[in-house]
Amino acid sequence: MRKHLFWVILLLAGLCQQAWAQDRNISGKVTDRSNGQGLPGVTIIVKGAPTIGTSTNSDGVFALSVPSTATTLVFSFVGYATQEAAIAGVNTVNIALATDTKQLNEVVVTALGVERNRNSLAFAATQVDGGDITVARNPNPVNGLEGKVAGLAIQQSNTMGGSSNVVIRGAKSLLGTNQALFVVDGVPISNQNTNSANQQTGRSGYDYGNAAADINPDDIATTTVLKGAAATALYGERAANGVILITTKKGRRNGLGVTINSGITFGRADLSTFIKYQKEYGAGYGQIYGPNEDSYFNRDASGALVVPTGEDASYGGRFDPSLLVRQWYSYVPGSPTFGQATPWTAAANDPSKFFQTAVSNLNSITIDGGSEMGNFKLGYSGNNEQGYLPNSRIKKDVVNFAGSLNLTPRLTFSSSVNFSRVKGLGRYGTGYGSENVMTNFRQWWQTNVDIKELKSAYDLSTNPDLRINNGNASWNMRSPQSGDLRAFYWNNPYFVRYNNYEEDTRYRLFGNVTSTYKVADWFDVLGRVSLDSYDEMQEERSALGSTTSSYLPYYSRYNHTYREYNFDLFGNFKAAITQSISFRGLLGTNLRRISNSSIFAQTNGGLAVPNLYSLTNTISPINPPTETQYGVGVDGVFANATFGFLDRVFLDLTIRRDKSTVLPEGNNTYYYPSVALGYVFSESLKEKAPWLSYGKVRANFAQVGSASAPLAVYNYYNKPVSYGTVPLFALPGTLNNSNLKNETTRSYEFGVETSFLQSRVGFEATVYQQNSSDQLLAVSIPASTGYLARYVNAGELRNRGIEISAFVTPVQTSDFKWTVNANWTRNQNQLLSLYSGDNLVLATYQQGVSSNATIGQAYGSLRGTDFTYDAQGRRIVGSDGYYVQTADANNVIGNPTPRWRGGITNTITYKGVSLNFLVDIKAGGQIYSLDRAYGLDSGLQPETAGLNDLGNQSRLPIAQGGGVILPGVKADGTPNDVRIENNGAATFGYNYNPNAAFVYDASFVKLREAALTFALPATLLSKIAVKGIDFSIVGRNLWIIHKNLPDADPEDIASSGNLGQGFQGGAYPSMRTLGANLRLRF
Amino acid sequence: MLATACVDSIQDYNVNPKVAATVPGLTLVPTAERTLVRTLTTTNQNLGITRLLVQYWTETTYNDEARYNLASRQIPENFWTPLYQTVLGNLNEATRLITADATVATGVKANQLACIDLLAVQAWSTLVDTYGNIPYTEALNPLNTTPKYDDAATIYTDLIRRVNADIAAMSTSSAGLGTSDIIYNGSMTRWLRYANTLKLRLAMNTADVDAARSKTLAEQAVAGVFQSSSDNAQLTFLTALPNQNPLYEDLVSSGRADYVGADTFINPLLALNDPRLSIYFQPVSGSTYKGAPYGPKTSADNSSQPGTVLRSATLPGVLATYSEVQFMLAEAVERGFAVGGTAESHYNAAITASIAYWENLAGKTTAAADAATYLAQPSVAYTTATGGYKQKIGIQKWISLYNQPTQAWVEWRRLDYPQLTKPAVALTDIPLRFTYPTSEQNLNGANYATAASSIGGDKVTAKIFWDKF
Repeated sequence: MRKHLFWVILLLAGLCQQAWAQDRNISGKVTDRSNGQGLPGVTIIVKGAPTIGTSTNSDGVFALSVPSTATTLVFSFVGYATQEAAIAGVNTVNIALATDTKQLNEVVVTALGVERNRNSLAFAATQVDGGDITVARNPNPVNGLEGKVAGLAIQQSNTMGGSSNVVIRGAKSLLGTNQALFVVDGVPISNQNTNSANQQTGRSGYDYGNAAADINPDDIATTTVLKGAAATALYGERAANGVILITTKKGRRNGLGVTINSGITFGRADLSTFIKYQKEYGAGYGQIYGPNEDSYFNRDASGALVVPTGEDASYGGRFDPSLLVRQWYSYVPGSPTFGQATPWTAAANDPSKFFQTAVSNLNSITIDGGSEMGNFKLGYSGNNEQGYLPNSRIKKDVVNFAGSLNLTPRLTFSSSVNFSRVKGLGRYGTGYGSENVMTNFRQWWQTNVDIKELKSAYDLSTNPDLRINNGNASWNMRSPQSGDLRAFYWNNPYFVRYNNYEEDTRYRLFGNVTSTYKVADWFDVLGRVSLDSYDEMQEERSALGSTTSSYLPYYSRYNHTYREYNFDLFGNFKAAITQSISFRGLLGTNLRRISNSSIFAQTNGGLAVPNLYSLTNTISPINPPTETQYGVGVDGVFANATFGFLDRVFLDLTIRRDKSTVLPEGNNTYYYPSVALGYVFSESLKEKAPWLSYGKVRANFAQVGSASAPLAVYNYYNKPVSYGTVPLFALPGTLNNSNLKNETTRSYEFGVETSFLQSRVGFEATVYQQNSSDQLLAVSIPASTGYLARYVNAGELRNRGIEISAFVTPVQTSDFKWTVNANWTRNQNQLLSLYSGDNLVLATYQQGVSSNATIGQAYGSLRGTDFTYDAQGRRIVGSDGYYVQTADANNVIGNPTPRWRGGITNTITYKGVSLNFLVDIKAGGQIYSLDRAYGLDSGLQPETAGLNDLGNQSRLPIAQGGGVILPGVKADGTPNDVRIENNGAATFGYNYNPNAAFVYDASFVKLREAALTFALPATLLSKIAVKGIDFSIVGRNLWIIHKNLPDADPEDIASSGNLGQGFQGGAYPSMRTLGANLRLRF
Repeated sequence: MLATACVDSIQDYNVNPKVAATVPGLTLVPTAERTLVRTLTTTNQNLGITRLLVQYWTETTYNDEARYNLASRQIPENFWTPLYQTVLGNLNEATRLITADATVATGVKANQLACIDLLAVQAWSTLVDTYGNIPYTEALNPLNTTPKYDDAATIYTDLIRRVNADIAAMSTSSAGLGTSDIIYNGSMTRWLRYANTLKLRLAMNTADVDAARSKTLAEQAVAGVFQSSSDNAQLTFLTALPNQNPLYEDLVSSGRADYVGADTFINPLLALNDPRLSIYFQPVSGSTYKGAPYGPKTSADNSSQPGTVLRSATLPGVLATYSEVQFMLAEAVERGFAVGGTAESHYNAAITASIAYWENLAGKTTAAADAATYLAQPSVAYTTATGGYKQKIGIQKWISLYNQPTQAWVEWRRLDYPQLTKPAVALTDIPLRFTYPTSEQNLNGANYATAASSIGGDKVTAKIFWDKF
């Protein structure tokens, strides 16, 4: 493209030169600011005399004769910001052009890898440069897009290597996936996670991350986010959720280059997202223990007071340094206080000291080169990440190769291969359970327990002579006064991290072999075979000595194999029908085959001997492993035609037909049409409105389908574990359906793109509506039918939204430039119909809270028990002084859907120094905090202690002036004046309050990314044979500027996917990351 | 070129190669049996809380269910779902498959279908006893996703009809469920006795609302009921997961100490010198048994834990016992039904059988003497024990149904003894039924609303039709 332009312009320039007599000569060199290389083909004109001009040669050098009246030259080039240079009194002008991603005439990679001029696009597509994704050195390229693209909602979990939820324009499928499709160089990449439904709904588990993170971030050239169905229709049935199209870097045309990135970042838990503890009262649930010391303590045989270590709450005795009691630590052999009673005080080191500094190294090297014969690129990236929890690390190695060979001028072969290995150890336990130390710290804890003593107790236990409870010296000893030192509900958190860790590996290979044959100037054919293949193994364990409150010590392994093959063959046509009508066409076919299988097995009845993690080390014989296997085949044929009229009106038509194996014969062939129309009105207004640099309106309609649920057609039986030797079979919970058909998404979109004042300022706005109907889903049906769910086509979900992105360059001189990019998205989601009833339960959580799709409401509304309210909306308090709750848990108590999202990126460049920072905003949406429901119940937070309205300690008995009065009104409407006890009966937690009491606003404003980059000047570099040295200081999640959720990060989720959105339990604090990166180019 | 590669065999891709598409109908029966017994036996705080409702036990620190908080762990949902989906769903499918199986001999088929139907009657009656009106005639049809609710009394009438039909269909001269039957291992003699026992139970459950019918049914059934404790309908659990007694999972495997004896139960046992006390519970220290106050948070260390017998993986889960039969017969005599014997003789037999049953489980061999001593006490002896027959039988039946907590909850509501009171920390009165599951509100809303309004609102205080007093 650029090459053609170059010749055209050169020709024009040559003509011009001959036609005009000139007065003086100006020469110089134009370079690319990012790499200092000469830029060929740059157009140079004299300001005010656009017919006088030239362009640079292949080294970026130019020479131009200009009239004596000329004062300024204008340098412009596709993809770069236009610059001006004064020429008064000079004969040499050297200038460095900066790339401009907002250049509206840029080439955009669209569906199936087709490169198109932005002019001709009649749908929303946002292209992000690779450099913008890696600016803050995020090792996960998916997260590097967060806050940068209107309409793209990315939500990451705070666990090390955790999955990221990637949703474009809202949830469209009620129960199927809503994750965007990733396509890397034409290879569709699975972004599945293998997290269990239990893990995703806040039960115990691990977040193993999602597979789209297996990409070398430094290998990404551009990322295009195709949002609406019209943009993605060529992808067929997987187009409904939008596509994130990644194009990797290509080898350079001439010579050889080496780029090295080496960086290190350090992370610390952001304690504004961690619980704060009260420091007045210690272990226990009230006065229910021994006969003395007000029954806050037990007594051992010697008569010493013993802390009720078995209780995981802090509603016990008031701290009193003069009171000597035996704590858990005094039962740990070798501890400095072994056998001793110690003062009853709050811990000197609370669990915030448990976090350590996370360290991550991200290094990459890319070697590329080429000649007329072809080019190649070989890259490696290595990322070693150590999390902020002890004994946690992930090692990710990615090797990628791409090459192309021009066998003849007409025939090109190219191939790219990406191989990655991810090895995880000690990923953070998520959800509710002993393997998630956050559940422990945030929900069930004793404020008298010192985290450093736990560390020392764990270290002592590594000595076999001092070992108790298989090395698990827990603060939560079951009954030390009677010699029972077993961990009751919670392990020593260090034991959890060093003994109950998980391990995982994922080997992945994806790539393609492509050949292109240029049959004629107007026609070429492309054939491509691509593969995405991964094998993963996950091993989990709970060591002997661990609490058995949820499960016995165990070892489990899960092996999963995924293969996806795509065979593509398509022809591209390009022709000018008349002088004013252009035509581009595409005709092709795609065959897709997926096979997926897995096996899971675990020990049964406990582990026989310690430290052996093998399926053989089981006490009872193991139950049969769980095997899954399915295949999917889809055959597609498609065609695309784009007509251009006078380079200003473009009509784009596509059609695809898919035949899918997941649907029954007869219903398995379906069509997706799309039509899009764009009008570049600035072309028509050139004369009248010179301030208008660019303007386009576009409108489109598309219908795409999906059939995403394999094995839903034929009925079968489950096989529960046999009763001894008696085999058992059972009806499955879900009834399949042999009359299924595809689901349909209809999408309408209208947009405008403009820029003004030589593209110094501009905006793009899109409104859209997408209706997804006939959803293929296993709807819940009443259990009284004998089934829990039934596959049907039902339900219609509507997403409507506005996306606005804007940019402005308030200051631009040759040395200094300040650009602001902003985006704003509002998506409104509403369920229009369902199969039967008006509510579909999507997921259920602890405490009876559920996520729901309800007719007339946004997807994912939270239900649970609520307060009761009077006519004025005030909470009603009963005669007993407690809130009157609804009896059932079926009241809408919140919705996680935000009102809007936005991001603002500032880029400030001064000579070789640039500062880039991104503020990410989410407004609205709600979240239920299980951490608060339990933590307030067990008396951890400061608001459960302190003084009451009378100025007395609220935890004193009412008779002694204690107790609290809950805000609200009595049944008669007068303010509540009934004082209630604030003792172990847990006034503030889940016990006496409805679920609605723990629903919080999930809004946030975050300083997401900041990077300060220094580029060494080219003059210096030329002396040391280096093409570029950049040094940058980067930070991520540096500052939560605003949030309303106490003690936690409103963004943290247990896993990607539909489940668990709006529910938080055992949440991890956000991590502040600061680091440095060095980039060398040779 | 593409034609050969195209998807031409839908089946190849759409068939799950790892699961069975056809199975023998009999293999679905043990699935139903196991789930039925587990559901009636479990003490998991998410599933079965009837030991708390009848105040055998109380919860130590996490006392939500002891306070009758049914919503936070969705108890009504978790009790309803396995009975409908796993028990009745599989029994229904087994009936369909066996009926259609031409290879089964007529007599065997009749026996198999009758046994399956009897299990269904047991499950249906449990559902009615727990919720009241429920979907019945339109239930178990996945194509009707809004089944209407039927009147509880009408369902009971139909269940009685079904039991009668099952008894008529059963024959000891043909084989039955065979080894797929994990309760009786296919013994038709015992299935017949179980059928008659169930008939007697349905009769006695409705004695307050239709005495005449009860009389007829009881008198018909009495000859065929359990002859001894060896006839008990129970499932002996196995040593390994998932076939362990659910009590073992929750009391032993978990290492938790969520449950201790309630003083409302242990105090009467102490007062009556009940020989089962040391089997039902463990001493706090030495030989002291102490119950915790029912309801409020309490320390696990200070009260008696459930006994070691209940902590065995292989403890049987019980559907019906000989002891229960004798209690029913004692009551029948008091109601004037001609079932033979005296109220006292049946009462004594019931208590003796219960003590023998428990002492046998505990490995004790002094049951006969212990029972005699126990019955000789004026506070226990039928003639001298306090109160009318409902009180005498109610108290002793409550003590003996310790491992049939779901049935104990029925008897407590029906006989109104022992007199239990709600704790101060309770959210509601003691439940007389469960509220309907939340899923019914969401998925079967109109029928749910009708059912709820017919009992004056979906409340735990609404009485089941047979709970007249």
